[in-house]
Amino acid sequence: MLSYIVRRMLWLPVLLAIMIFITFWLGFYGPGSPEQVLLGQRYSPETAALVRRQWGLDKPFWVQYGRYVLNYVSLNFGESLTKYPGQPVATLLARRLPITLQLNFAAVMLGVPVGLLFGAIAAYYHGSWFDRGIIFVSVFLRAIPTLVAGPILLFIFAKQLKLLPVGGWDGIFSPSAILPVAILSTGIIAGFARQTRANVLDVLNSDYVRTARAKGLSEVRVLLGHVLQNALIPLITIFGFMLGGMVEGTLITETIFGIPGMGLLAFEAINARDYPIVIAITVLAAVVFALSNLWADLFYGVIDPRIRNT
Amino acid sequence: MSEQSGKKRWIPLAAVLLVICLLAACVIGVLGMWAISKNVAETGVTIIETRVPDAGNGSTTPPEDQPTPPPMPTFAPASPGEQVLTIPGGDPPTLDPHLSGDATSAVYVVEIFSGLVAYDVNLNLVPDIAESWDVGGDGTVYTFYLRKGVKFHNGKPVRAQDFKWSFERACDFKTGSSTAATYMGDIVGCLDKLRGRADEVSGVKVIDDNTLEITIDAPKAYFLSKLTYPTAYVLDQENVERGGRTWTDNPNGTGPFKLDSINFGESIVLRKNENYYRDPQPQLDRINFALSGGSAMIRYENDELDATPVGLADIERVTDPTNPLNAELMSGTRLSVFYLGFNVNKPPFDDPKVRQAFNYALNKNKIVSVVYKETVPIAEGIVPPGIPGYTNPDLVPLEYDPRKALDLIAESKYGDVTEFPDITLYTTGAGGSPARITEAIVASLKEELGVDIAIQQTDWATFLSDITSPENPYQMYQLGWIADYPDPQNFLDLLFHSDSNQNHMGYSNPDVDALLDKAGVEQDPQTRTELYRQAEQLIINDAPWVPLYFDFEQWLVKPRVKGFFIPPMIVPKFQYISISNEG
Repeated sequence: MLSYIVRRMLWLPVLLAIMIFITFWLGFYGPGSPEQVLLGQRYSPETAALVRRQWGLDKPFWVQYGRYVLNYVSLNFGESLTKYPGQPVATLLARRLPITLQLNFAAVMLGVPVGLLFGAIAAYYHGSWFDRGIIFVSVFLRAIPTLVAGPILLFIFAKQLKLLPVGGWDGIFSPSAILPVAILSTGIIAGFARQTRANVLDVLNSDYVRTARAKGLSEVRVLLGHVLQNALIPLITIFGFMLGGMVEGTLITETIFGIPGMGLLAFEAINARDYPIVIAITVLAAVVFALSNLWADLFYGVIDPRIRNT
Repeated sequence: MSEQSGKKRWIPLAAVLLVICLLAACVIGVLGMWAISKNVAETGVTIIETRVPDAGNGSTTPPEDQPTPPPMPTFAPASPGEQVLTIPGGDPPTLDPHLSGDATSAVYVVEIFSGLVAYDVNLNLVPDIAESWDVGGDGTVYTFYLRKGVKFHNGKPVRAQDFKWSFERACDFKTGSSTAATYMGDIVGCLDKLRGRADEVSGVKVIDDNTLEITIDAPKAYFLSKLTYPTAYVLDQENVERGGRTWTDNPNGTGPFKLDSINFGESIVLRKNENYYRDPQPQLDRINFALSGGSAMIRYENDELDATPVGLADIERVTDPTNPLNAELMSGTRLSVFYLGFNVNKPPFDDPKVRQAFNYALNKNKIVSVVYKETVPIAEGIVPPGIPGYTNPDLVPLEYDPRKALDLIAESKYGDVTEFPDITLYTTGAGGSPARITEAIVASLKEELGVDIAIQQTDWATFLSDITSPENPYQMYQLGWIADYPDPQNFLDLLFHSDSNQNHMGYSNPDVDALLDKAGVEQDPQTRTELYRQAEQLIINDAPWVPLYFDFEQWLVKPRVKGFFIPPMIVPKFQYISISNEG
């Protein structure tokens, strides 16, 4: 098990180097460049050449790429070029990360219990209208991309009903957090509800539950002691996958709602061709993704010994 | 059964891990909650309302609907007799004068730091740290005599050596200033240092502690204007070198106000510099900038803010003379112009008659009054009002005349709009719907000329990359220009001279070039103005643009705030403002 973790972790730097390569390659050869954004309409080829030189952007692709990789090895994330000139990327990330974490934390705190509850109830009343309803709604919710759901909710609640703010961020305990948290948690609710329902159904039909019932245990004890306990374990795995998925969800949600977290910073940095920020966020997202996948894989092994030690 | 117990064995471990995970999440959450008190930040809705990105150094559209605001940051209450101004502000990308190139940063930078010369509120060039100067060497050698007794905020005297060090820092490629080449590049040796070919800027000489000599590469009337820019401000070497990349958290400037505190996304507080060296002396003890922006209007009406810009949503309300707020309304133009640009090398705009027809076809009064509710003055010429010494009262504009527009199209080499190739209007934007002004323009042209125009939104970086490329691929685009310094040269010469990098239209008229070249070296202000007037008229006649409107700002200001004004450019202004506590 330990060697498995070590092996997986050893792959991480390789993965990150590839991530940096792809991100930087796209920025390097894509339209627009940081010196152009910075000089704006004052652009002239001579000034641009000077700025490129100042930033080392005149170096060949491989030299610049190598510099990123070496800097990351020494945990130097560089400085912003255009969006926040001269500010260390690490500082910028440290300011923005708490907002993103709060948002996601709130979404998990809301999404997991609600999803579990719906899933469990749906399974218990298997085949009823409630069960069908839950299935329909969770498939429906999962199918709508945030990019579509966000503006629609804004249109209804902010523009038409004027109940909630159009965007912005007053902190997690304010009305401005309601829609983004709701949107981020719908995916979790839908995913957890479906998975919980499936697991609980599985367990309900298992031999040991039948045995427990045959022994004359009360329905509550059967549910709490046998069914839920066994049905919930696989969800830990799902949780890992879900964390990875939230990285992308955050980017779109923050951008739509104007929440000054990592996602919006990424969006701004891409628009300003601020490579150091874009690469740092990509790497961070890749780390989260890789770790949450590792978590999921490990727990697969924990839960199902057949997968273990491969 | 063994499999069953195998499963059971893992339950405690799983439970423990789950608990650890939840605890970790809680810790993160608590940290987050704690951090929120410090970290609420700038807002912006990008998808719903498309915003035009900064054109170089400032916002280019009057603000549209603002999102609902974060809560008002708490500021220390004013003690009796203390003068405190509380206004909304923006989150500055940087407070380093040598790195800042944007309008948001400049608002703070020009108050905390200062340089040799400055603009006053009427955009007259005035001595700042330099008390006086001589110009010799046929206009290429400037000798500045520094005021005696000028001190940094920490009490250290400012010497000519500090300027030399600062200029060399700005021109050092390691500093990474994007503005140095533009604003300091005339100084002999600056470009060499920027290219890494010199250690020193040879054109800057320290004669003695109070005398600085600057040599430029050619006589340039606008050199002094460039020195008003923050890139030419003086910094304290010790402060910068000790503070590393975060030295701007504790800047030791020379300006009328000191940085008291800065909380990302929340507040910036400036405090009076008691040892400020020139008049007018700052009177405000503190300036509180509330960065968590948004509906500042409500807070203004709640008396939490002393002044606020007025957004489009409120403009009708406050311009109503029966509204008590109307008495508190102030307005001012900004030195910027918004326009449609034609690529004169791309059909159908290669025929001047077509370009003129587009000018005559647009009812700018109607469009602007519908879209901007008459908050912005429409542009007939190119140079905005408010530039000292320049007006063009006799300019003959291409005024709305739909019949003439149709005649011109009939006379053009195309003869009829059906002979036009497909036309695309390029505008900046990140997606969603185009700005209302763009839609209004396209709809009007369709109505008046029967021409179909597609709108193509491009993100700012790509847009710039396209229009600045040698072959501008756009037929027609919508853009704005914000002045660097208050002079017609900054509009006419920079944007329309056939040799200028900023002429993206491919426009070239030898007569215009000749007038502009002559004006560039003309010493007599009267003659110079006349030359620029003639050039402006020729440009309007050739119609490489449809000038749309000039920028305009409206603020509400409490009666207790004295001396508040809206300068056409970002200049040091808070030293002119005071609060009368009686009123």
